[in-house]
Amino acid sequence: MVGRVLIVEDEPNIVESLQFLLEREGLEISVQSDGGRALESVRASEPDVVILDVMLPNRSGFDILRDIHSLPGKRPKVMILTAKGQARDRDTAEEIGVDIFMTKPFSNKEIIANILGLLA
Amino acid sequence: MRKSLSGTRIREQRRQAKLTQKALAEQSGISASYLNLIEHNRRAVAGKVLLAIARVLDVPASSLSDGVDSAKISDLHEAAAHHPGIGAEVAGIEEYAGRFPGWAGMVAALYRQTRDQEAVITALSDRLTHDPFLAESLHGMLSNITAVRSTSNILTSIDDIDPEKQARFHEIIHEESRRLTETAQSLVTYFDKKADPNAGIATPQEELDSFLERHNYSFPQLDDLGEAPTNPVETAYLVNRILVNDGALENPEANRLVTEFLQSYARDSEALPHSDFAKKARQSHYNPSEIAHAFGTSMHMVFRRLAYQDAARTAAPPMGLIVANAAGRAIFRRPIADFAFPRHGNACPRWPLFQAFATPETPVAALLELPGRHKFIGLAIAEAQDARAFGQPPELNAAMLILHYEQRALLSGWLPDLGATRPIGITCRICPRKACNARTEPQILGDEAEG
Repeated sequence: MVGRVLIVEDEPNIVESLQFLLEREGLEISVQSDGGRALESVRASEPDVVILDVMLPNRSGFDILRDIHSLPGKRPKVMILTAKGQARDRDTAEEIGVDIFMTKPFSNKEIIANILGLLA
Repeated sequence: MRKSLSGTRIREQRRQAKLTQKALAEQSGISASYLNLIEHNRRAVAGKVLLAIARVLDVPASSLSDGVDSAKISDLHEAAAHHPGIGAEVAGIEEYAGRFPGWAGMVAALYRQTRDQEAVITALSDRLTHDPFLAESLHGMLSNITAVRSTSNILTSIDDIDPEKQARFHEIIHEESRRLTETAQSLVTYFDKKADPNAGIATPQEELDSFLERHNYSFPQLDDLGEAPTNPVETAYLVNRILVNDGALENPEANRLVTEFLQSYARDSEALPHSDFAKKARQSHYNPSEIAHAFGTSMHMVFRRLAYQDAARTAAPPMGLIVANAAGRAIFRRPIADFAFPRHGNACPRWPLFQAFATPETPVAALLELPGRHKFIGLAIAEAQDARAFGQPPELNAAMLILHYEQRALLSGWLPDLGATRPIGITCRICPRKACNARTEPQILGDEAEG
């Protein structure tokens, strides 16, 4: 499958495993660890899917999700991938308009299936 | 009006001493009919007569006089309101407190204990929900576990990983496991500390209040700072030594509040050196305005210095102090006998403290009366806390100095006409003034006439 995925995550070891898994599926991966520069990366890499952490330096994942929704034209699909798994966090993400909400720790199989589902 | 209870207490003590009214009256040098009126709370008793009766009954005069029970009675009212289903006889609370002061004290103490424990539970719940250390630790652990789980799953489920990448994944597992262990160990240490029953748990503001009470609201180590040139390092050392010697502050936020208080105390001492300040205070008859003018300081600084002074070193009258921000939240509290500050909820909006916000930088003086008939002089002023800048509203705090009305002679020569007595309360919830148009919450007291 062909597709571009942007991983916005500040834990390098999590990024490394995600990148390994998704590249094996033939996806093109870019990475941003700074929440404050996430939107810039979205504009630059034009991903089909953004994997977005919530607790990020400089800007929260929820704010970045709002930013993505305010972009003109076709917007990427967004998967929130967070340790903040409380109901209110899920509600917040769904109110803003997330495509998939996943909590850490995740299953490799499930995350690959979800990303491929968003790209289908 | 809350009745005087002195008579009830005298009657009870006389009965315990197995004395007749006639015998007590004779030995106290008053007529039996006068004692009868006193015992039925129809005549006030104070001064020499009270002392004489106390001497005959062989009890401290303070145990017979009014005022000692006001806090206890407030607590009993609150306790009754807190448990309406029990049907406590609210109308008889004062009689109960007067006749059985020990039992009343025990009920009030048990109620306070329950209320304080509820506050502890709330504080603990808040801590679990909002504690930044816990939140950060748990978030970190989940991230470590995520990395370990994902990486180990890759290693076990995928065969064709090149050796270099395999080595890297092993390294990640090792690194994340080590971080996970460190976080878990720091959490264990954290909970061990919090589980210490001797540490006590209170809100940071309550810890500050307890700290000040432990030190009797004065710090002689800092009092003399202004007597000779000092430097910030020396001041910081003195502040730190007080904290270390106290050794009872567990909560970092309480530690911060206490440190800020002590630093403020030190600055006040430097600007108002003890000996010059005490001399000027006496000379000016404790006129805060004149003292502030003489030393070129703010009135708030003078208020603090007057309230937080070592009573043993000065002959100054006792003064209470409350400082609040514009939202009405108490920042500093220095209690004074018979004038309780609310532990929870808002203070009475009729306090001059709040009036002062309407006219910043303008002193306000008022004669205040609490429902128990205790009278006080309240001196208040709202002042800007920061350097003023164009286009920015000032951050105002208001401070109110409180003195017993009986001390008014010490303030001679400058105290303005205080006008009519202003009826005030402590907080609406325990205030019996039915007709008060400043009421913001319904009272939880029983059916009681306005005081």
